[in-house]
Amino acid sequence: MINPQIVTEAKEKNTKTHPIWFKLKHNKMTTIGFLVLFLIVCLAILAPILTPYDPAKINVAEKFQGPSLQHLFGTDEVGRDILTRILFGARLSLGVGLLVIFVAACIGIFIGAVSGYFGGIIDQIIMRVMDMLLAFPTLILAMALTASLGPSLHNAMMAIAIVEIPIYVRLARSETLVLREKLFVKSAVVFGIKPIPIILKHIIPNAVSPVIIQATLDVGNAILMIATLGFLGLGAQPPTPEWGSMISTGWKYLLDYWWYPTFPGIFLFLTSGALNLIGDGVRDILDPKSNR
Amino acid sequence: MMKMVMRRMVFLVFVIFGVSLVTFILSHIIPGDPASMMAGQHASKQAVEHIRQQLGLDQPIWIQYVEYMKGLLSGDLGTSIRTQNPVIDDLANYFPATLELAIAAFIIAILIGIPLGIVSAVKKNQFWDHASRIFSISGVSIPVFFSGLIAILIFYGYLNWFPANGRIDMNINPPTRITSFYIIDSLLSGDMIALTSSLQHIVLPALVLSYAQLAIITRQVRASMLEVLSQEYVRTARANGIHGYNLLIRYALRNALVPTVTVIGTSFGALLGGAVVTETIFDWPGMGKYVVDSIAYLDFPAIMGFTLFISIGYVLINLMVDVTYFILNPQMKE
Repeated sequence: MINPQIVTEAKEKNTKTHPIWFKLKHNKMTTIGFLVLFLIVCLAILAPILTPYDPAKINVAEKFQGPSLQHLFGTDEVGRDILTRILFGARLSLGVGLLVIFVAACIGIFIGAVSGYFGGIIDQIIMRVMDMLLAFPTLILAMALTASLGPSLHNAMMAIAIVEIPIYVRLARSETLVLREKLFVKSAVVFGIKPIPIILKHIIPNAVSPVIIQATLDVGNAILMIATLGFLGLGAQPPTPEWGSMISTGWKYLLDYWWYPTFPGIFLFLTSGALNLIGDGVRDILDPKSNR
Repeated sequence: MMKMVMRRMVFLVFVIFGVSLVTFILSHIIPGDPASMMAGQHASKQAVEHIRQQLGLDQPIWIQYVEYMKGLLSGDLGTSIRTQNPVIDDLANYFPATLELAIAAFIIAILIGIPLGIVSAVKKNQFWDHASRIFSISGVSIPVFFSGLIAILIFYGYLNWFPANGRIDMNINPPTRITSFYIIDSLLSGDMIALTSSLQHIVLPALVLSYAQLAIITRQVRASMLEVLSQEYVRTARANGIHGYNLLIRYALRNALVPTVTVIGTSFGALLGGAVVTETIFDWPGMGKYVVDSIAYLDFPAIMGFTLFISIGYVLINLMVDVTYFILNPQMKE
């Protein structure tokens, strides 16, 4: 007799050997995430075509209009169309989120590779500095950094990049420790290639995939942090159409004109939710333990 | 275990030193001039210079650092520019409110998160599992200020069930100060009016703050329960006729909680960050609101004092989490 459970287990194991894309496609939640994200990206790219309004143009005569056919999400305190500002905000949030993580990952992977490759005192110093940065709760360090640099979108971006760097340093370092012992690296050393070219040409290209995966997981987080700093008045300053600062301004009118802060909030939630769903799918594939 | 704790204590000293170095550097790269900020717009040059000398800002940077460290070691975090009080006193004043809120949020997160995770694991891929997964994925995706907004709109603006600002009603006297926790103090002094009011006030901010933690705990309990339930010893226990509550709680949950404790610890940083936003939204007179108000004034002693305080607290909590981890997991005792 064949135990039916063994058969189903074997079948399950079998599906695990399929390529990543196949598995991502067959995860319902992940597919929803991809669809929502795709939609938001399209809306962001097509923003100037989709809306007849200008995100910055003030029209006091039409202030605080509720949602209607002319203004689907209503207008704000100086009569700007909220939907328009949300769409332009999507461009900003997505762009900034990607950029911040890209910069953090690039710097992090380089520092991590240097730290792991050279080892010794350099490694010690770099890793202790990273430990120090990791000792702060991320949002609070980002707040303190932005406050010191002066509240602005650029400084908020810089602060978040700095806060995110240690994660990538650690990842890249542990990859490098393995790569350093590989034959192709050792033969490069024997051929007399200098350390920095080895790091750039041989170590980093081979250490990049876990870093890329981590980066996709972090984009949503970066977008939330930018919005939170914006909400606290530390990030993008009005009149920039940034979701966090829109919600912050709209907050004053919350109980009278609910649509003003609510719609930017919904978009922020959808974006980070979609990214989290995708991140979950990726994590499920990489970590078979969570894939049950 | 003692060895581990000792090693962590040494690390703690190092971290505190590092954290203070970072906050010192941060408060000295300010583009604005704190002396002229403090003197006000119409102060004469001499007055500004006088304040600069008072603050020691005319000294070379390394002397300033030595002075700063001397102050830190004696518990002096500087004087707040905004309130003119020593920062340490301000923090001590605002800390109980933050702690009360954080504990309330933490209790909610654990009381709901663990059962929800268990149900989700037991009823895997059924309705309750899907519902709780959607609930927890929203929890990690929703920014605190948006869940706060929805809570205020519905429960304050529309239903008017709970108040949405402060710790207690403006017209009610706070309870006699014993522990500085309004709920405990009003219980101890038998002040029922203050108790009802402070309980009503804490509901919304605590719920909003707990949501992200709740989501993380649910997720982790579900994952580790699924893992534990598929293990041999659980199967053996089942074969021996142990089932239901006994099996789930006494046999499975204890082991499933071990990774959960770590996750709770690492998510505590997010809880602290969330507290800053929650307090701002609900006008909760804690450290978070204090620091956000200070930011508007470029009150650097206050901002850096807060950052230092929170980071040290964060490191201490992580130490506690590690110790709990050892207690829960006898294998680690070697």
